[in-house]
Amino acid sequence: MESKIEAALPSAAYEQRLRWARFVARYGIVFVLLLIVVILSILTPIIRGEQLFLTPRNLLQVGLQASINAIIAVGMTFVITSGGIDLSVGSMVALAGVLAAMAMKELQIGAFGGFVVAVGVGALCGLFNGFLITRIGLSPFIATLGTMGVFRGIGLVVSQGQSIYGFGREFSQIFAGAVIGIPVPVIVAAIVALLFWFVLNHTRFGKYTIAIGGSEEITRLAGVPVKNYKMGIYALCGVLTGAAAALLLARLSSGDPTFGRFFELDAIAAAVMGGTSLSGGEGTITGTIVGALIISLVQNAMNLFNVPSYWQDIIVGSVIVAAVILDQLRKRQSRVA
Amino acid sequence: MLKMTTDLPLLSVRNITKAFGAVQALQGISFDIAPGEVVALVGDNGAGKSTLVKIISGLYKASSGEFALRGQTCHFETPADALKAGIETVYQDLALIDQLDVADNVYLGREVLRGSGFLGRLFGVLNRATMRRETAAALSQLHIKIPAPTMPVRMMSGGQRLAVAIGRAVTWGRELLILDEPTAALGVEETEQVLRMIEELRQKQRMTFMIISHNMQDVYRVADKIVILRQGRHVATLRKTETTLEEIVAYITGAKQKRVER
Repeated sequence: MESKIEAALPSAAYEQRLRWARFVARYGIVFVLLLIVVILSILTPIIRGEQLFLTPRNLLQVGLQASINAIIAVGMTFVITSGGIDLSVGSMVALAGVLAAMAMKELQIGAFGGFVVAVGVGALCGLFNGFLITRIGLSPFIATLGTMGVFRGIGLVVSQGQSIYGFGREFSQIFAGAVIGIPVPVIVAAIVALLFWFVLNHTRFGKYTIAIGGSEEITRLAGVPVKNYKMGIYALCGVLTGAAAALLLARLSSGDPTFGRFFELDAIAAAVMGGTSLSGGEGTITGTIVGALIISLVQNAMNLFNVPSYWQDIIVGSVIVAAVILDQLRKRQSRVA
Repeated sequence: MLKMTTDLPLLSVRNITKAFGAVQALQGISFDIAPGEVVALVGDNGAGKSTLVKIISGLYKASSGEFALRGQTCHFETPADALKAGIETVYQDLALIDQLDVADNVYLGREVLRGSGFLGRLFGVLNRATMRRETAAALSQLHIKIPAPTMPVRMMSGGQRLAVAIGRAVTWGRELLILDEPTAALGVEETEQVLRMIEELRQKQRMTFMIISHNMQDVYRVADKIVILRQGRHVATLRKTETTLEEIVAYITGAKQKRVER
């Protein structure tokens, strides 16, 4: 007596199709990015009379514009993949920036000390979000909607609503500088992307992030300490947001409690455009980076074409919605395949 | 001192009660499961079957009473404790994670890492090659055929999923396998395959099972002993050889009243 449960398709051909379907579902957004690059390369000389888009300088500018959002969006990808959301990252940027600037100014802790403070503040903010979500049992949306106000509020209180200048030129020279012509934020974003691509795809932490997003209940039943991992995921998002705050602080040479407004929306948009599912369980770092680049490219193009700033929000918003619709259509097809 | 080890029940449930606020979900349940026995836990909706399973698998704590595994009283704080003790549970609707592949599901919570030292544990780098190889070997030993251990679970049929979930439980469960409504969502042919798998595991590996089911035909076919609950009370424990389907149904519906044997 043998019980056999077989699939209808032969295994080799089936795996081939499976791999292709998975490839398209995962990396289809890359083709959207390439398409936008090709279109802009052709359109810019026609509209502006010269190739202003496809130059090393402009492309580095696109990368620089994308870098801070990309770093936060990598953290957001982990949070959303685990089935959560973090609305407080923009406020974390403000608070971490203000506190790092004040610490450098008042305590003379130096440029790297300032960076550590920004990252540490982000980590604490993330842990606090994780605490509210896992120990108090608030939904991620409500918890981080609350801390969105709290974090920025603390930033406003400690800075008394003022910008903080004069914390030393060294900080900007290092973190807004360039190494062999490549801006430091771009390098940091690239390292973050590579590192956390590995973490998401090849480590237990990454696997549990996906598992928790897929089904928190089943993951807990499998003996995984789900609450601790969720704390870790929100802390990770905070750490990356703190690093992004330091880079922004360096670029603008001032810490201000009003910085970082709507950063959460840009980060969520980059992740979702890149195929991260808001219902959890699915997310790729490649997709998120491409999503951040697309947002930056569209903004760059509008500047090149002198689109009035009021129109820019409408266009960016439309591109995000269009990209997500395209992505869903593609996923539905690849699921049938 | 008497030598009792050979006669020791694998699982011994003693006077378990569970209250949710004012609701008495379980009111003093007691029964034994011998090693290698297949015990069916049956009863109508709300009889307390699932509550009892959740207590034994570490999800709930009993309000009073206790249960012991091979004579050792269990104090499970979390599902992880039950798993460590060798009790595996396959839940009807909570079997596998859609977004992970077969091997990742089989090894969920028990990942094989690259490097067993401090660094290996710190970074938790997965050794997927080993996990896939072992999954393929374990499933083929159970005659569970899937196209590949890298197949995402969402592309599998209900029967395939359950087969993999049982395969996972068999791979890790040293002592007791609890199946919660294993055939509820399956078609006729898939149900047959799962029942055959249970029979085979019992015969060849002397696996001990506790099966929760609504389906009396299925239960009657595979079980040695039937424990019947009704409205949180334990109404009967019957040997299959000494009862009929009609009698079981009569106890479930309340047409026949309490009679407890061991």
